[in-house]
Amino acid sequence: MELALGLANYALFMGVFIGIYAILALGLNIQWGYSGLFNAGIAGFFAVGAYTSAILTSPHAAGRIGGFELPTLVGWVGAMAVAGLVAWPIGKVCLRFRSDYLAIASIGIAEIIRLVIKSEDVLTNGAKGINNIPRPFGDLPYVQSQIAYLAIVIVVLAVVYVAVERQYNAPWGRMMRAVRDNEVAATAMGKDIAFRRLQAFIFGAALMGLGGALFAHFSRSITPEAIDPMVATFLVWIMLILGGSGNNRGAILGAAVVWIIWSVSEIATDRLPHEYAVQAKYIRVFLIGLMLQLVLRYRPEGLLPEPLGGARNAPAATAKATPRNGH
Amino acid sequence: MNKKVLALAGSLLAATALTGTAAQADVKIGLLGGITGPIAAMAPAMLLSAELAISEVNGQGGIGNGEKLVQVTGDSACNPQNGTDAATKAVNIDGVVGLVGPHCSGAVIAAANSVAIPAGIALITPSGTSPEITNLKDNDLVFRTVPSDDYQGRALARSLKEQGMDSVAVAYLNNDYGSGLANAFKSEFEAIGGKITTFAAHEGEKASYRSNLAELAKGGSDTLVIFDYGDGSGLTMLREALENGFFTNYVGADGMKSDAPIKELGANNLGTFLASAPVGEKSDSLDVFAKNFKDIGGDPDAVFVTTSYDATFLMALAIEKAGGDKSKVGAALRELSSATDGEAVMPGEWAKAKALIAEGKPFVYKGAAGTYNFDAAGDVPGVYALFKVGANGFEKVADMK
Repeated sequence: MELALGLANYALFMGVFIGIYAILALGLNIQWGYSGLFNAGIAGFFAVGAYTSAILTSPHAAGRIGGFELPTLVGWVGAMAVAGLVAWPIGKVCLRFRSDYLAIASIGIAEIIRLVIKSEDVLTNGAKGINNIPRPFGDLPYVQSQIAYLAIVIVVLAVVYVAVERQYNAPWGRMMRAVRDNEVAATAMGKDIAFRRLQAFIFGAALMGLGGALFAHFSRSITPEAIDPMVATFLVWIMLILGGSGNNRGAILGAAVVWIIWSVSEIATDRLPHEYAVQAKYIRVFLIGLMLQLVLRYRPEGLLPEPLGGARNAPAATAKATPRNGH
Repeated sequence: MNKKVLALAGSLLAATALTGTAAQADVKIGLLGGITGPIAAMAPAMLLSAELAISEVNGQGGIGNGEKLVQVTGDSACNPQNGTDAATKAVNIDGVVGLVGPHCSGAVIAAANSVAIPAGIALITPSGTSPEITNLKDNDLVFRTVPSDDYQGRALARSLKEQGMDSVAVAYLNNDYGSGLANAFKSEFEAIGGKITTFAAHEGEKASYRSNLAELAKGGSDTLVIFDYGDGSGLTMLREALENGFFTNYVGADGMKSDAPIKELGANNLGTFLASAPVGEKSDSLDVFAKNFKDIGGDPDAVFVTTSYDATFLMALAIEKAGGDKSKVGAALRELSSATDGEAVMPGEWAKAKALIAEGKPFVYKGAAGTYNFDAAGDVPGVYALFKVGANGFEKVADMK
């Protein structure tokens, strides 16, 4: 009985994390999947969102601004708005770079954001982080509280999914793919490439901010240690690539598969004799890397490839998938 | 939809993995360490000292009626995402009765908030030094065997004032260790009438800190307080400050009390260097621990191994006292630490402690890093002393209050 309850608790916890990562992956899908922008600074926007919501909703603490104690929903909307606002000047400057260069610039931007957060004591409480962030239904007992939060995350994820998915077949989504696949042709059609790219960058960043806010409220705290590129940037990239960039269901599936492997593999390695306990922990880092290699080698389009020609939900679906060229 | 199916598949997988676990009579304890990630170099030694405590417990009668104490090792990777994940697994899948760790403050706060406190599992961290841990609303479940950086910072401020230093410049490494110490130092030093001329953070691992030092020296003070690590950027900073004569007096905290500055810079150049550090209370406990730890191939001078050993041993004592009931472990810890008289129990003396618990007699655990009297927030005050560099390494100058 206790074990069943424990498993349920663990599954709920995993569900919440998968939901949060799925939102991050959907944000990245707008940027990379739809628009071909190589943003390697997810952690930065994740952090902006997490801290914005933390500052808006947490109780007063000495030594930093805050104590607004606004409703959580305001915090989340604020997180999206501020993450989008921060993305605007960054996109304005950095989106002139193409592919690899944008990746390098965005890694740098994420690092700048991390250092600002660590240094601006008055704003973010510096290296100590922000504590006692309210969690909706956080006063309920353990299981109920997790169920309630999972429900919230699922609702938010559903809203985000529907919104992003609708854009796939909408003119905006088609235009973005045109910009991605053939910039010259799109320019010839009179599309304002720079402006459209900036739009996609800001929308994606806002979703990443939302993911950060959801995480901060779930942990009831946010510290600079959470802005670790390994878990906040590269894991999300692996999720999207494995799931299938350009496909929103793929992004969600990728988030689920990668997080489950990441988390459950530790349970498996724990069965090794405890002399190997320390070494065994590195296996999962290796597993994730191996998985990425295998996917890139044997299935570069991901588990659920991008439906070509806007085929999804369209009656005259031409399901014949031709391998897409790399970006 | 996929997500739910996969979550289910994941839990099934977990369930199958579980069938391989040991007999039910075992009592499990979770060791959460930053095995991968930024403190990967420190974690193995800390886990080894925790394992020493566990093997001593099992070698001397185990828990209750000879049940074995079994460790469940989790990787908190020094970040909250993995910290909460590892804690969730330890508590829900393995059913641990207590948690030792995580190692890094951010992971401690997150794991306590979203797992340990709601699940009612006691948690002791051997190395989370952030003052924010004090502020957790923890239902008396979160403890630590390492003093908050707050204590040391404040104690150092009072000692420097006593030594006649009224005006200092402060440079600190920008992480929870450095900024925690520096801010505590600043508020105490200013409260007792000292003057801080410049107060600046720096990032670690830079090639040179000359520009930082030049800025710090502009304040006009002749004393520089460095909150950093003596085998890292703190050493670079100290070397450059000495070479260029930016200041005359230098002060560091426990991170700076490392052999690296003496080896690299020479004792004769460090005549004006002072460092504060926690000192084990005058007892043989540390020697006993050091000997036992060396026997299993550990280095007793490694960072946080004593606190890690004590945290595990205390947790085992609390589990024994609570009769293996996880809902009573927190209260048992509180009770254990508030005993002030009674027989002394030293590291490795599990059989003796077990007998005393069975008889219901109070006793004091004299740990490798000192005795533990948790305050209301589950923190321990440290015992510190001020050291200077002499011919044979660090020599004690004064006790700090």
